[in-house]
Amino acid sequence: MSETVEQKPKKSSEKTKKTILVVDDEPDIRESVKMILQMNGYRVLTAVDGDDALAKAQEEKPDLILLDIMMPGTPVSEIINQIKDIKIAFMSVVRISDARKKGLCTQENIVDFFQKPFNVSDLVSRVELILTE
Amino acid sequence: MECKKSKFKKLLLSKIDRKLTLLFIIVAIIAPVLGISYFYTIAILPKSITPAEAEALRTIALMMILLIAINAGVIGYLVSKSITRPIKQLYNATKEMEQGNYDVRININTKDEFQELGEAFNKAILHLGKMREEREEIDRAKSEFLSITSHELRSPITPMKAQLQMLEQGYFGKLKKEQIESLAIVIRNADRLDRIISDFLEISRIETARLKFDFRKINLAETIQDTVKFMQGFAKEKQIQLNVKIGRLPTIEADPDRISQVIRNLINNAIKFSEPKSKIEINAEKQDNQILLSVRDHGCGLSPADQIRVFEPFYQVEGHLRRKHGGFGLGLAICRGIVECQKGKIWVESKPGEGCKFNFTVPLEPVRKIEPIKVLFSPKQLIDKKIKEEFKTMLGPLGIGEFNELKNKNALNMQDLIEYVDTLMNKYILDEEHGLFFKNRIRKIFGEEKDTCLENPVKKGGVTRN
Repeated sequence: MSETVEQKPKKSSEKTKKTILVVDDEPDIRESVKMILQMNGYRVLTAVDGDDALAKAQEEKPDLILLDIMMPGTPVSEIINQIKDIKIAFMSVVRISDARKKGLCTQENIVDFFQKPFNVSDLVSRVELILTE
Repeated sequence: MECKKSKFKKLLLSKIDRKLTLLFIIVAIIAPVLGISYFYTIAILPKSITPAEAEALRTIALMMILLIAINAGVIGYLVSKSITRPIKQLYNATKEMEQGNYDVRININTKDEFQELGEAFNKAILHLGKMREEREEIDRAKSEFLSITSHELRSPITPMKAQLQMLEQGYFGKLKKEQIESLAIVIRNADRLDRIISDFLEISRIETARLKFDFRKINLAETIQDTVKFMQGFAKEKQIQLNVKIGRLPTIEADPDRISQVIRNLINNAIKFSEPKSKIEINAEKQDNQILLSVRDHGCGLSPADQIRVFEPFYQVEGHLRRKHGGFGLGLAICRGIVECQKGKIWVESKPGEGCKFNFTVPLEPVRKIEPIKVLFSPKQLIDKKIKEEFKTMLGPLGIGEFNELKNKNALNMQDLIEYVDTLMNKYILDEEHGLFFKNRIRKIFGEEKDTCLENPVKKGGVTRN
């Protein structure tokens, strides 16, 4: 039985909004995650694949990148190679053990791994933890 | 009449027969000719010529005989070689084929039936090779299909679940109690769907030997402790205590994630089957050349019928328990795939009303060559049926009980069965004749029959029992 406790989304106004870049090739996932984060007070940008993510990351300098692993275009391993100074959290159907085996989790700025399908409250609390550290 | 005529023709036209016939004729003619000539030159002739001439004649005769003998020997040798060499070639090629090498070809140029046999062999083995390639293609295509389908099936669940949870948690406005409960049902089933699809993916990997292992030197005790700690949360929900007892374990090379996966599954089942406030024991100990792990619960246990079938995919235990726990029956099949991939064994010991003890073994050295394990549709079930029949025949009605016991211990492979019959023979439950016959029948089921001539002693009058 999933939680029936209502969790009201946070409303932030005074404190500086953190920016999160959500990268996923599936529009419904992009939109859903964007909705969740926006309603919890974050500024959300989206990208459709790795190259798009690189461009937007350079332009906007987000505080966190939520990155899907299986996307068309430049492989994710190459993308993360070019982003070393922004926190990245993977969000993928791929299991974390398989991701480790592919050598994706060794970079220092990889801070978390969300297994899809994720839990909304889980996502929110862990993102908050990442951004307050 | 027609049949006889063509047979006769074949006899005449058979080149090998002609060669041999010629050989025999030559021997049959040459031997007496030689003998008579010699006798004539040695015994009769000398009387009508001078001794010197006789001596010369004798020498010549001797030399000719020697020459003929040598020639006959050489020719005989070559002819016989022309027969035995192709046979040897065929034998070697067949042996290669038996090992699974379908690339071997025969090259016989004796321009007789052996050459034809060689060509027929080559055609047959080419066909075998093609069939195997085709089967491998099909297997590959099947697993690709399964894996792509599974990924495609999983993708929609993420946005579905995200939106449902947002609704449930009031992101789009406050909800009535019934609305929240309704959403809870939908979310729960979305999760369930996701789990079933993931399990299907795992099964497809197991069946096509694409299970990934990451072997490293691990502290098995630590892995077990971590896994149990992880499961504490679930156990607490039913106030169940998880007790761990680990013996002295050496450092082994294995994949901790996979071992953890099996243990988690077994503990999960144990929790499902246990009453609240009961205990579950997790043990690990070193045996001769493997590690034995077990998860014991004190639930209602399994009936013998269930014990046999519980590792089958989708098999659900009947009865009132069905209502209490969900589940979709692939967990144990996956565990079996993982354990047997590493040439281990997994089995259950249980008495109805006294809980279950699930055991599995882990080798000290990892098995790196991953072979496909059939868990979905196994010829194993057909073989098991045959073995059960054999037990019934050889041991009477008690044979079924014996069979079931062996099946529970997953000891229905040929090696274990032969050992079992040996024990019966050692205890004089079966006499030698019955024992040998039984063992041969078992070998026959696995395709390794040794002696086809053993008479069925059971027909003579049953089994000796003390």
